[in-house]
Amino acid sequence: MSRKQTKATPPAAARGRPAQAAPPGSALLKCMLLTQLTEERLVRLYHQGRISGGVYISRGQEAIGAATAAAGGPDDLYAPLIRDMSVHIGRGEPVLDIFRHCLGRVTGPMKGRDGNVHYGCLARGVYPMISHLGAMLPVVTGAVMARRRQGRPAVGFAYLGDGATSTGDFHEAVNFAAVFDVPVIFVIENNQFAYSTPITRQFRCRNLADRAVGYGIEGLAADGNEAVDLYRLVRGLVDQLRVRPRPVLLVCDTMRMRGHGAHDDFSYVPRDLLERFTARDPLDLARARLIADGALTAAEVARLEQVCQAEVDAACQQALAEPPPDPATLTEGVYAAG
Amino acid sequence: MPLAETTLVEAINQGLRRLLRERPEVVLFGEDIGAFGGAFKATLGLQQEFGEARVFDTPICESAIFGAAIGMATQGLRPIVELQFVDFGMTAVHQLLNNAGTMHYRTGVAVPMTVRAPCGGGICGGPFHSEELEAFFCHMPGVKVVYPAFPADARALLVSAALDPNPVIFLENKYLYRHVKEWLPADWEPIPLGVAQVCRPGSDAVVLTYGAMVHEALRAAEQVEQEGAGTVMVLDLRTLKPLDADAVLAAVAATNRVLIVHEGWRTGGFGAELAALVAERAFHLLDAPVVRLTAPDVPVPFAPELERAYRPGADTIHAALLELLDY
Repeated sequence: MSRKQTKATPPAAARGRPAQAAPPGSALLKCMLLTQLTEERLVRLYHQGRISGGVYISRGQEAIGAATAAAGGPDDLYAPLIRDMSVHIGRGEPVLDIFRHCLGRVTGPMKGRDGNVHYGCLARGVYPMISHLGAMLPVVTGAVMARRRQGRPAVGFAYLGDGATSTGDFHEAVNFAAVFDVPVIFVIENNQFAYSTPITRQFRCRNLADRAVGYGIEGLAADGNEAVDLYRLVRGLVDQLRVRPRPVLLVCDTMRMRGHGAHDDFSYVPRDLLERFTARDPLDLARARLIADGALTAAEVARLEQVCQAEVDAACQQALAEPPPDPATLTEGVYAAG
Repeated sequence: MPLAETTLVEAINQGLRRLLRERPEVVLFGEDIGAFGGAFKATLGLQQEFGEARVFDTPICESAIFGAAIGMATQGLRPIVELQFVDFGMTAVHQLLNNAGTMHYRTGVAVPMTVRAPCGGGICGGPFHSEELEAFFCHMPGVKVVYPAFPADARALLVSAALDPNPVIFLENKYLYRHVKEWLPADWEPIPLGVAQVCRPGSDAVVLTYGAMVHEALRAAEQVEQEGAGTVMVLDLRTLKPLDADAVLAAVAATNRVLIVHEGWRTGGFGAELAALVAERAFHLLDAPVVRLTAPDVPVPFAPELERAYRPGADTIHAALLELLDY
C-alpha cells in the first residue's frame, strides 16, 4: 500500500531515534506565531493602502510550513508556495525582510523587483516561487539532483496546494523525481479551496496521497494542523530519504481560514467547514499540546507571544522607514555579467 | 593543421564534447539523447564517452526538463538540454519566460543553462516539426538567443552559449544539420555572443538574415551579382539577442538598401524588430523602403509543393533583391 496514515504508521526512523526526533516545540510555536502576527500586520498595512498589489496569507495553515521547515537539515532545499510564510521564517528569513519585501523596499530580498508571496533566499536554499502553479516542483527536483551530485545529501521540499495537483507540471515533476529517485517531499497542502474552487472540482480520487500509486512512490496522508505530530513524521521521513533517496507525496489536510487574498471575503466557503477547522486551529492545538506535554507553561506561551509581537512591531516600523527602489535602476540586473 | 569536412550537426557534437571534457559542471539531458545519440544524432557517442551521470535520457516532459535545468543551474551545474524539436518547447515555455528569465533580475542569482533546439523547415516536417520560433524567445527578458548558420560558428558559439551565465536558447536549423559542410581544424576558439558577421561583401543592398536563410541569401546574392544587377552584402546576425545593432547599422550605411529575410512568421517576427531598428536609427541612410521577406502567417504546411511556397528561398530572395535594387 502506498498510502499510510500518520498515526497508524510512524516511520521507522522516527521510532528508532526519539531523541533526535524530539520536536523543538517552542520553536515550532514561535515560527507559527511570527507568521500569524506578521500576516495580520500585512493585512492591516494593505487595508491602510500602504502595501500595493495584494496580500495573501496562510491563516490556518501555519503548522505545515513550521513543521516541515524544522524537519530539514542545513543542506536541504525548499520551494515554498503562496501560503508558506512559516517555511520562510522557519528557514531563517528575518521578519524584517518579509516586511521590506511586501512593502517593495529596495532593502528587501527581491529589492522591489517582485512582491507579496514571491520571495526567497537561494543562499539559504529557499527558492522564490513564481505564480505558475506547479512550476517550482521540477526546479527544486533539479536543484536536489545537483546538490547530491556534489556530495551533499540534500532532501528537497516542494510545496503545492490541492489546486496545483491538477497541473501538468505536477505530473511531470513527480514522475521525473520518481524516475531518477530524487529525494523530494512533495508537500501537498490540501486546504479545501483553490481560490473559490472546492476540491470536488479539482480531483476525483479519495485522497491525493492515492496518486502516489501511479508514480510508483509512497504517499502519506497527515493532519496538517498538528505541528508536533507532523514534525515527527517529516523528521523521520527525511532521515529515511537521506539513506534511501526517493520522492514522497505528503498530503497535509488543512483549511484556508481566510480568503485567497486580503481582497477576498471568501463568502463561498461553507460556514460549517470553517467551524470544523476553527476547532482545530493549528496555533491553539500547538499551545495546548506544548502546555499539556510540559514543554511550556501558559506563562511562557504568553511571554513568547509578547516577544513575537514586539519583533513584528519593530520590523514593521523599520521597513516602513526604509526607501523604495530608485526608478533609475529599472533595467539593471536582467542579465548576469560575465 | 589538418582540416576535416564537418557538417553542422557534427560541429554541434564537437562543441558538446569539448564542453563535457573541459567543464566538469556541464551535464546534458533530454529525450533520447543518451545511447541513442538524439533524434538528429547531435549527442552521438557522448554518453558512451562521458557516462550516464553526465549525459542522460529523461521522460518526455519539457517543463520538467527546463525546470530541472533551472534548479541545477542555480546549484553550480551548467546544464545543456536538448529539445527534440523547438516546437515541443512551447509546452513548457513558461519555465523559460517566468523562471529562468526572471531569476537574476529578481534574486541576483545566475541561471547558466542552455537549451538546444532544432528548428526550421525544409524537410517536410509539417506543422509541428518545422516551426521557427526565435521571435517568441527574443521577446523574453533575461534570455539570450543564438542562431548559427555555419558549422564553425555553431561549435564556437555553442561553447560561448554554454559558458554564458544566463539562459541561452541555441537554435539549430535542422535543414542545415547535414546540408552545410565546412573544412574545419580540430582546434578552435569560442566566438563571443552578440557579434554578427558579414559573409559576403556588397555595396548596393544588404540582406539581414540568420539560420538557413543565410545560405539562400548567399545564392541569391551570387546570382544578382552574376547578372550585373549590383553587389549584395549578406549579414549573418548569428546572435539575435543581444543583437549586434552596430553591425546592422554599419551594413545599412554601407548599402542604403535593406532586405530582411527569415523563415519564421511575418507578424511580430524578428524581421519586424530589425525593420524598426533600421527605421529608428538609420532612416536617413535609406534609399528605398525596408523590405521583409518572410513566411506568411500560416501554419507550416506539409506537402513539398506547399512548403516550398511557404518558405523563402534563393529564388524569392533573388526576385526581392532585383525589385529592391530597381527602386
